Amino acid sequence: MVAAIVASDVSYRYGDRAVIDTLSLTIESGEFFAILGPNGAGKTTLLNMLMTVTHPRGGTVSIMGHDVVRETAAVRRALGVVFQDPALDDRLTARENLEIHAVLYGLPKAERAAQITQALAWAELDAAQDRPVRTFSGGMKRRLELTRALMHKPSLLLLDEPTIGLDPQGRRHLWARIASLRESGMTVLMTTHNLAEAESCDRVGIIDHGKLVAIGPPAQLIAAQGEGAKTLEDVFIALTGRNLFDESATGRDRLLGFARQGGEFTR
Amino acid sequence: MTIMPRLGLDASVIAIMWKREMLRYVRDRSQIFGAVSRTVLWLVILGFGLGAALREIEGYSYAQYILPGVITLNVLFSALQCAIALVWDREVGLLRSVIVSPAPMLSVTLGKLFGGASIATIQGAIPLLFIPFLGVSTSPLSILMALVVMFFMGVAITAFGIIIASRLKTFEGFGAISNGIIQPLYFLSGSIFPLRGVIGGVGFLDVPAPLRDELRRLGIFAIGGGWVVQLPLFIQVLVYINPVSYQLDLLRYVLLDFEQLPLAADLAVTFGLAPVLAILAAASVERMLRRRR
Repeated sequence: MVAAIVASDVSYRYGDRAVIDTLSLTIESGEFFAILGPNGAGKTTLLNMLMTVTHPRGGTVSIMGHDVVRETAAVRRALGVVFQDPALDDRLTARENLEIHAVLYGLPKAERAAQITQALAWAELDAAQDRPVRTFSGGMKRRLELTRALMHKPSLLLLDEPTIGLDPQGRRHLWARIASLRESGMTVLMTTHNLAEAESCDRVGIIDHGKLVAIGPPAQLIAAQGEGAKTLEDVFIALTGRNLFDESATGRDRLLGFARQGGEFTR
Repeated sequence: MTIMPRLGLDASVIAIMWKREMLRYVRDRSQIFGAVSRTVLWLVILGFGLGAALREIEGYSYAQYILPGVITLNVLFSALQCAIALVWDREVGLLRSVIVSPAPMLSVTLGKLFGGASIATIQGAIPLLFIPFLGVSTSPLSILMALVVMFFMGVAITAFGIIIASRLKTFEGFGAISNGIIQPLYFLSGSIFPLRGVIGGVGFLDVPAPLRDELRRLGIFAIGGGWVVQLPLFIQVLVYINPVSYQLDLLRYVLLDFEQLPLAADLAVTFGLAPVLAILAAASVERMLRRRR
């Protein structure tokens, strides 16, 4: 069986700074894998490469055997993506958002309505399907994003901080859904700062300064760290240090700040 | 349905992105309110208020004269607003998921472009509702032609807005951009002042319509008083290099049968600029995505 992700000596630089530094990583089909790392470690850049939004400057990345630079369309069809913040149109209803996705991924017209209904049912959003997404709670939006990401039956699901901002009920519901995907044999790659959640993964990879500093099953990484380490968090701190990693506001942060100050009418 | 896969043209993608823009528009009452209030402010208040002093422009009342200008203002505002929303969409909205989909970006951009132009046409049509109160005699064919002109104007301005938006990182400069672009394009298009001819004449509008048309054919536009327009050279230059001047002039021609610029230039700019800017907009979006790589 072809590996889900193969990254070989991948590099990416912003000016003089190496964001990804000769990173190599293989994730097998059917694995549930977590990428961990402090802010600025290179997780987002790596995810962007997998999503074909950013191209590696050095090395190669393939997804389900397709090169992310040369076979962009095939890679994108193989991927389902759930962003850290909802990438939904909040003026449209849940059904309308799914309809857009169905068209963008070329789902057959005759099957679209049924697939959308099925997706809404899977996310337990049938009753809210005709409500504008802006009226949804954070948990509902995340469920809608997850079911949308699965609508075109991807081989690999990318989850960027999937449980951030969710209440315990929302987290439990989402994990139940992810567990069912694991049972179905889907490959899942997630980034998270919640190390307790990462402990339930088959394997984790810890990135720091663009390099993969550790990879393996959580229990194995904890055991390899020695007697002082009881949890994955202990391993994480031991490998990445105790310094705070402050990042500058992104364009996105500034845009949200502007909207909160009353500029939202510009949406 | 992929119509031209090599070019990245997919009719289904264009249609769904167009539909999305239209759905967003009909659910946003503030845009409709803005267009109505702009129309009332400019056409009714300024048109009749300033019209009391200017009386007639080449035999048209001032409110009649600025009608195409008010339509143009609505088209400019809505097309540019629709385009600039790209910034929001790209950073925190749906576009993030569109970018990682296999859908061709050219089709996504065209869908947005046609959506923006359609909204601009609807917004631009709002002043047409005031035609019965302005004493303009027009036909259904003129209205239809005006809608076509508005749509092409909408395509051009939305494309222009997309080109700007693809370079913007945040909305913080939105106010400056809308003021710095819309206002010069609007004011320097002959929208509120004539480029040439006689203004301030009295009595021409009281002449029966058939006789008025006969006088116009003879080059007579005022009966009592009036003065000849003499614009400073730099204003003339700015008006003549502004593409909106030609689009507006064509609109004025189809609605009032009155033009101030060569008709051939009006047609060339209106129907030639839109596809050129559409191609440039698609290229700008591609470049925006490449920069991220």
